[in-house]
Amino acid sequence: MAENIAANRDAKHGMGLALAIWGILLVSVAYFFKYGLPELASERTSQDTLYYVILGITGVVYIAVQFYLGLYIWKFRHRDDAVGSYWHDSHRLEMAWTIGTVVVLIPLVFAGLVIWNDVKAAPPEEEMLTIEVVGAQFQWDMRYPGPDGQFGTWRPELYSLDNYLGLDPDDAAGADDIHVVNQLVIPVGRPVRILLRSKDVQHAFFLPNFRVKQDLVPGIQTSVWFTPVKVGEYEIACAELCGLGHYRMRAFLSVRSEADFQTWVAEQTASSD
Amino acid sequence: MSEGHNDHGHGEQSFISKYIFSFDHKMIGKQYLTLAMFMAVIGGALAMLVRLQLGWPGQHALFWEKLFPTGMASGVMTPEFYIMLFTMHGTIMVFFVLSLGPVSGFGNFLIPLQIGARDMAFPFLNMMSFWTAVPGAIIILISFFVEGGAASAGWTSYPPLSAIRSAVPGSAAGQTLWLIGMVFFVASFTMGGLNFVVTILNLRTKDLNMMKLPLTTWAQFVVGILGLLSFPALAAGAILLLFDRSLGTSFFLPAGIFIGDELFPHAGGSPLLWQHLFWFLGHPEVYIIMLPALGFTSDIISTFTRRPIFGYRSMVYAIIAIGFLSFIVWGHHMFVSGMSPFLGTVFTMTTLCIAVPSAVKTFNWLATLWRAKIRFTTPMLFALGIVSLFVTGGLTGIFLGTNAVDIQLHDTYFVVAHFHFIMAGAGLFGLLAAVYYWFPKMYGRFMNERLGKVHFWFTFVSYYGVFFPMHYLGISGMMRRIYDPNTYEYLKPLQPVNTFISICAFVLGAAQFLFFANYFWSIFKGKKVDEENPWETNTLEWSTPITVGHGNWPGEIPEVYRWPYDYQNPDESGDHVPQWQAPVKVTR
Repeated sequence: MAENIAANRDAKHGMGLALAIWGILLVSVAYFFKYGLPELASERTSQDTLYYVILGITGVVYIAVQFYLGLYIWKFRHRDDAVGSYWHDSHRLEMAWTIGTVVVLIPLVFAGLVIWNDVKAAPPEEEMLTIEVVGAQFQWDMRYPGPDGQFGTWRPELYSLDNYLGLDPDDAAGADDIHVVNQLVIPVGRPVRILLRSKDVQHAFFLPNFRVKQDLVPGIQTSVWFTPVKVGEYEIACAELCGLGHYRMRAFLSVRSEADFQTWVAEQTASSD
Repeated sequence: MSEGHNDHGHGEQSFISKYIFSFDHKMIGKQYLTLAMFMAVIGGALAMLVRLQLGWPGQHALFWEKLFPTGMASGVMTPEFYIMLFTMHGTIMVFFVLSLGPVSGFGNFLIPLQIGARDMAFPFLNMMSFWTAVPGAIIILISFFVEGGAASAGWTSYPPLSAIRSAVPGSAAGQTLWLIGMVFFVASFTMGGLNFVVTILNLRTKDLNMMKLPLTTWAQFVVGILGLLSFPALAAGAILLLFDRSLGTSFFLPAGIFIGDELFPHAGGSPLLWQHLFWFLGHPEVYIIMLPALGFTSDIISTFTRRPIFGYRSMVYAIIAIGFLSFIVWGHHMFVSGMSPFLGTVFTMTTLCIAVPSAVKTFNWLATLWRAKIRFTTPMLFALGIVSLFVTGGLTGIFLGTNAVDIQLHDTYFVVAHFHFIMAGAGLFGLLAAVYYWFPKMYGRFMNERLGKVHFWFTFVSYYGVFFPMHYLGISGMMRRIYDPNTYEYLKPLQPVNTFISICAFVLGAAQFLFFANYFWSIFKGKKVDEENPWETNTLEWSTPITVGHGNWPGEIPEVYRWPYDYQNPDESGDHVPQWQAPVKVTR
């Protein structure tokens, strides 16, 4: 009997827990409307759509499950007249929620795979601009192929403070390559492919506004491509721990009109002569 | 299986053989728990320092310089100190707290008691496993004091950052000690895993077949298998990385690494190989952390709802399914790593499969609460907290497991939120729930209920305050492992969120002192247990005397007649029927 009294007294903690769960539920959902994805500036709308679909589905499940958790905690708290039930199996119920979960997940998987396929597929070749981005502790170096449209070859043996990109001085194709530091300038409306190379450790090329993220792996060349759809100034972030300067491995992305971009290219070519 | 099996001091034992080099699973379990608690204080302190920096970047009082003369000279935290902090926080918490506590601690303590065995199958190996973990922990702690400081390449230790000594200060001696410490840890854990699996398979008492085991035991069994099969991958990786660092090999290092004006002579290796080896362990590891908590949750909920766990059979299958699936999902940590995109497709499919058994477990818990008679003791509050945290954390896994969506969220605070809800939430709350629940069995006394409840309230509410807002940070694009987010214009508006999180984190950290005080005080002064089965539950460990001696049961080991979930069974009299209670012919 003493235990019953204690159990009944403890019931107020159960009521408190239900209220806490509901309170947390309300606050957490409310703030979701305040903090959203960074403004989208690339053509990758499908990634965002899928994100919102998953948010919607998981949101509904989150709200429902936390709500019912709170409800059952409240409703079935210990009271003298309450009776626990021995019911502990229902094949039908278990089938229902197992199959239900599978049914909800399958379209998500397929949507994800289709979009993944598009992201990872070869980019459209016409009008595409290819730029090499070299990451090293702790800066980003961009290389444009220049008027000849070809990148000069490079070798790691040629790395030095004077030859930051390791370019082969005997390769004529490299003579007109444009090299800028921490600044990526691209024209709006054309696909751009970024070839990624690391000089030292792993880094990751992250464009929050463009839904682009790709690790730079020493020893291999990775790449991403995307199409900017909005003129503007954006930031480039490193998203893989690369040492003590990881936090400041930041660069700037400038999306300009085609005309402004060509002007900039001409300036770079002129100043490097 | 019978008394007098090993003659290692059935008379008076010396202090050394009883408390230091004990062969008794109960003492070894408590030793592990003590080690885990000690490491938790250190791991927690590291987190508090991380939050100090993120909450108030760059502005700290001068007294910090006295504590950390290099790391916080003039009261300003250096970036290299910061990255060492989160590296060691992760390492200590994942391995030395959340694996050693619920698995090595409670697995060892509970398994023989719950299956009706005198001890584990290999008591000597058990003792060795603890005394292998201790040097591992000591080496990890020593690494803080070597030149360059402790490892700083993240708990994930990706090469080349972790392989090249000049890449970051912590990759000098600190990283070497990290690797050696981890080899010890893996050895210890592997010994433990072997013991768990062999014991549960072979030493169950009469008529205790697998489908009558409590879910706690089932979880420890599957975890033992996971540990045995997955940890060797990390050991292999760690040893290869040691070779790359010290012997000039190139398992993980390609040609063309240029740091500090020096071109390194390695060639032919791949950093991706490390990632595969690490995550082949790393993913099962997080289920090793999580499954025991899920097992505790089921049994504690059943006890304090006075109901059988709903869907026992599916709960068992779910544990097995989660265990199996955990081996084929590791690539979801590597979607943008540069591995073949085809693997990205495969790993999304396998990863989203894990959502199914996890959902099944959640629905089964909810159904157990239905028509229950819930007694809100401290362990029950923590167990219910686990359900809430598990739901939150599990759902965000769907975002991250879907490769196309992971592109934006990978290596952001969304990931940090996800794994803290699951591992720290489910894992840590599981450990706490287990301590409050089994404390009477460990020490013959209760922990203080009132203090326990206060501890719960501060912990649960501040927990959500710390980790839920991290979802918002991740969605807004805040990267992980960033010493000062204000370096980026687009992250500056998020500073108030970071400050809020830090304040909640300090509350969370401070609240844990309530737990430690309660634990240690109660060992000596807690209210004494005056009946053998104070929670009125059904699992076999509660059939021992209040003070559990060597060999667990003074006489014969009890037989088991039923599953552990007979509460309000209409065919039986009484509110509950323990497993060891023989069927009684009821005459009316």
